Amino acid sequence: MKLLLPFHLNKVGAGFPSPATDYVEDDIDLNVHLIKNAPSTFLIRVQGKSMNKVDIHDGDLLVVDRSLDPKNFSTVIANVNEELVVKSFIKKNNQSFLSSGSKKLEDKISLTENSEIFIWGVVTYVIHAL
Amino acid sequence: MLCSKNKIALVDCNSFYVSCERLFNPAIINKPVVVLSSNDGCVISRSTEAKALNIKMGEPYFKVEKIVKKNNVKVFSSNYSLYGDISRRVMKTLKQFSPQMEIYSIDEAFLDLTSVKDENLLEHAYKIRKTVLKWTGIPTSIGIASTKTLSKAANFIAKKKKSGVVNLINSKQIDEILSKIEINNVWGVGQKLTKLYIKSGISTAYELKNISNGWIKKNTNVFGSRTAMELKGIPCIFLEKYKKKRKNCCVSRSFARKVTKLEELRESITRHCLNAAEKIRADNQIVKKITIFIRTSPFQKDKGYYANTKDVDLAVETNDSIELVKEALIALDDIYKEGYRYQKTGIIFSGLKDMSIYNKNLFSTINNEEKRIKLMKAIDNTNIKYGRNTLSIAQAGAEKICNIRKQHSSKINTTCFDFLPSVKIA
Repeated sequence: MKLLLPFHLNKVGAGFPSPATDYVEDDIDLNVHLIKNAPSTFLIRVQGKSMNKVDIHDGDLLVVDRSLDPKNFSTVIANVNEELVVKSFIKKNNQSFLSSGSKKLEDKISLTENSEIFIWGVVTYVIHAL
Repeated sequence: MLCSKNKIALVDCNSFYVSCERLFNPAIINKPVVVLSSNDGCVISRSTEAKALNIKMGEPYFKVEKIVKKNNVKVFSSNYSLYGDISRRVMKTLKQFSPQMEIYSIDEAFLDLTSVKDENLLEHAYKIRKTVLKWTGIPTSIGIASTKTLSKAANFIAKKKKSGVVNLINSKQIDEILSKIEINNVWGVGQKLTKLYIKSGISTAYELKNISNGWIKKNTNVFGSRTAMELKGIPCIFLEKYKKKRKNCCVSRSFARKVTKLEELRESITRHCLNAAEKIRADNQIVKKITIFIRTSPFQKDKGYYANTKDVDLAVETNDSIELVKEALIALDDIYKEGYRYQKTGIIFSGLKDMSIYNKNLFSTINNEEKRIKLMKAIDNTNIKYGRNTLSIAQAGAEKICNIRKQHSSKINTTCFDFLPSVKIA
């Protein structure tokens, strides 16, 4: 059995105690803020050219949550032609599409017509080194 | 409203290692895939497509290589860091469906669903399957019944169903299902019992269920009667909600190539010893007895077969790497014989006990025990942070001979910054 003793932040000294003692908190833990659902969240590295429209670049880290359903204009990871790729998810007139971020219509892939394509997860954050 | 007293679900991941490999590699979905054991020895996980090619579980890889080449089967070396992380995620996801849960293996868990109404069980199971698949990408099968043994049986059938769920609670089909299960596939019936049962004319789970208690008691042991009772729907094996501490710890490896020199065997024994010591320290345990073993390949008959083991009873129970390595190496020197080509070495720690302050012993040879405990802690913390074997002791040598064969590894590690899965922008 462990005996947990109260832990005092500042030494008991003769001087005036630090007025901040009662307000000291832990370091910020990015995991807590960037990962809402740990078992379904994966860190995935971007490889290759950039996707300027949504500001994703080669080498960036994506925080991807599989438990979320994509909304209109969500950035998603999808399985297209047996490869995992980053795409924009677009909903229009009850139809869903994937696009590579450009406005050109011919870029769009219809999810309704291509049932073998599936959404792998929704990108929630991009971590980009400057 | 019906409400059965005991409702146990066994959730089992389908072709777990293969499913993990498929998660980040869509190109191998719907294709035959196998995963090999460490050192690329045997087939330990097969996709449905690979099973259809008649590749058997546990078969040595060289025996199936022909089928693999002919049918373009995708082959992977086992990537346990990936499987371990995905398993953890699956278990965390399952936990929200029932806090009363026993993690049975890397890819199976028993959930206590007693609080779910009978009529909602199926729906609940579908929801569990759907959530695990969505969150972690891993397909599962679920068997629900009133005992663990029956839930295993239900799961066995669920695996073959498209829905992936079989519920035996209030089911009139129990006997029909049990008669489809061969006796050797019943949970808890091993090779020895199988032989006995078949000799006595019991060839299915159904037949075992209907055997008299008297016969079981007379002819088998307590485990045999438990299984029979459980098949009758009387719970005898309960959920183990807390991880039991291990009583033994074994670390062994085959060499990638045969080894003859004592020096090389010493290095490998040292590494196993450090590895095992780290494991038991993580559980706050100490060891009483160590056993080391070495052997040549059992297949190389012409070059001479040699195998030996040696037990060491420690005067003082400990988990101190330095002490343990010292003892293990003395034992190795004792059984090592020159002129053989060794294939495998290993170490077993047995008689593991919880460490407490009362273990101090008059015969302790460690001068400054406090300091040594701190040293071990520092080693463990460093190795957790920077990877196994970052800090080691010099006798372990630089890892080269033992480097296990991992020719076909996917190299993805979801918990290591440098080996994260990657995606392309297209």
